[in-house]
Amino acid sequence: MTWQLNTIRQEFPILQRTVNGKRLVFLDNAASSQKPLAVINAITDVYTNYYANVHRGIYSLAEEATQHYEEARRKIARFINAQSPSEVIFVRNATEGLNLIAYTWGRKNIQAGDRIIITEIEHHSNLVPWQKLAEEKNAELTFIPVSGKGELDISVLPALLEDGRTKLVAFTLMSNVLGTIPPAQQIIKMAKNAGATVVVDGAQAVAHFPVDVRTLGADFMAFSGHKMCGPGIGVLWGRHSILNEMPPFLYGGDMIRTVKKYFTTWNDIPYKFEAGTPPIAEAIGLGAAVDFLSDIGMENIHRHEQEIATYAYNRLLEIPGLQILGPEADKRGGLIAFSLDGIHPHDIASILDEDGICIRAGQHCAEPLHMCFSVPASARASFYLYNDLNDVDALVEGLKKVVKLLRR
Amino acid sequence: MSELYREQLLDHYHDPQNYGTLENPDVDIQLENTTCGDTIHLTATLDSDGCIEKVMFEGHGCVVSMASASLLTEEVVGKTPEEVEAMDLHSIEQMLGGVRLSMGRVKCATLALNALKKGLEA
Repeated sequence: MTWQLNTIRQEFPILQRTVNGKRLVFLDNAASSQKPLAVINAITDVYTNYYANVHRGIYSLAEEATQHYEEARRKIARFINAQSPSEVIFVRNATEGLNLIAYTWGRKNIQAGDRIIITEIEHHSNLVPWQKLAEEKNAELTFIPVSGKGELDISVLPALLEDGRTKLVAFTLMSNVLGTIPPAQQIIKMAKNAGATVVVDGAQAVAHFPVDVRTLGADFMAFSGHKMCGPGIGVLWGRHSILNEMPPFLYGGDMIRTVKKYFTTWNDIPYKFEAGTPPIAEAIGLGAAVDFLSDIGMENIHRHEQEIATYAYNRLLEIPGLQILGPEADKRGGLIAFSLDGIHPHDIASILDEDGICIRAGQHCAEPLHMCFSVPASARASFYLYNDLNDVDALVEGLKKVVKLLRR
Repeated sequence: MSELYREQLLDHYHDPQNYGTLENPDVDIQLENTTCGDTIHLTATLDSDGCIEKVMFEGHGCVVSMASASLLTEEVVGKTPEEVEAMDLHSIEQMLGGVRLSMGRVKCATLALNALKKGLEA
């Protein structure tokens, strides 16, 4: 893939910059991704050539803007193989998408005595909303445990699902800390058979490997546009039958059909869940990101990341006292969280920053997960389509420098 | 941030001043920065005028938090509790040799000071 890699890297203007005089080595893609010219230009194009508010204008410019906005929705629907674009709701980010479900579907359908099943490896955005929902409704919140190797112990599921009290199962398609990719279809099948609704957190997954919502069989999936080369936007996908039954989330313009003084009717999906002026340029930018990624091919991107991550996994083990959190190279997605004996993740990140290397240090919005692994915090390097083996080499050299500076 | 790691701070990190616990302290406080695992246990004695006589600390954490704590134990000797209360992020940055701390490291740098302030309140 090397030839394509160089071309790909040139598409990302930010990769040409230096940080502290050094080449930018961006290894924090799990937090957010850089944007290619195609996306930057698409957004500039909107504001330069056809920006207007959507859905309501009776003039050409508004029609053009609307056309592009809805075309972006269609592109995203195709990207995840949704049955219809009406199942694609634009939201601020995956977090907002997950909260949307909790506030609307959750409030209406969870009763006292119900059970919500999540996992110990969830990002706070797929944990806290359910925690609050369970608290509010007096429902039971149960966690699928994670093993020391970073794998979910789904053997607990059948017994849990047996009593029919489980109304919701929510889990991540890929852990942003461990890189673990749970056996999603297996979990979803068990959950659906037991009559539960299923929410999957696709924030990491959708950006890094092919995801087909029809094959998956879940009821909802939230993901981040900004993690997949798109601008600051996210998507909530939901099966149209379930979306149709849900009450709205935010109320106001565009999500209504008619408004009287004391009575209002709702618009059809997806508009029922898109109140007010939407992030028009951002949605169109995400559509451009989808085109960009599709041209390269998600399978190719996944394979590239696997190559980088495997190389990184093996090279990282050269560093004395380095422990990788989670499964082995062949069982994980393209990110590696690790700890260095006696050295604090903040210090690792600060020293690497001196050399232009961007990694994340802390708990990566997964405090319970870190408790399970008995580490207060970790460092994390996460890869994407524009990272190469040189980036890994730079990381390893940087870590050797960290060890030299901080171990005496 | 490269000044942050210059020799002096690293010295304080590897060989902190006043590391340990005082017996019969007037101030005894533990504080944690849960988001990253920096912890500090600070003990201090006050003299007859109520000024800081001696401060010792124990803890685990990053270079910034530990060096900051070490430097602080020297910095506050002779200060009144009011003077300690008046110390802020800027004072800490000066203490660290005039570095400008990024937002992510502020909590690390002020851990010891916050602990001492909390301990003096009691």
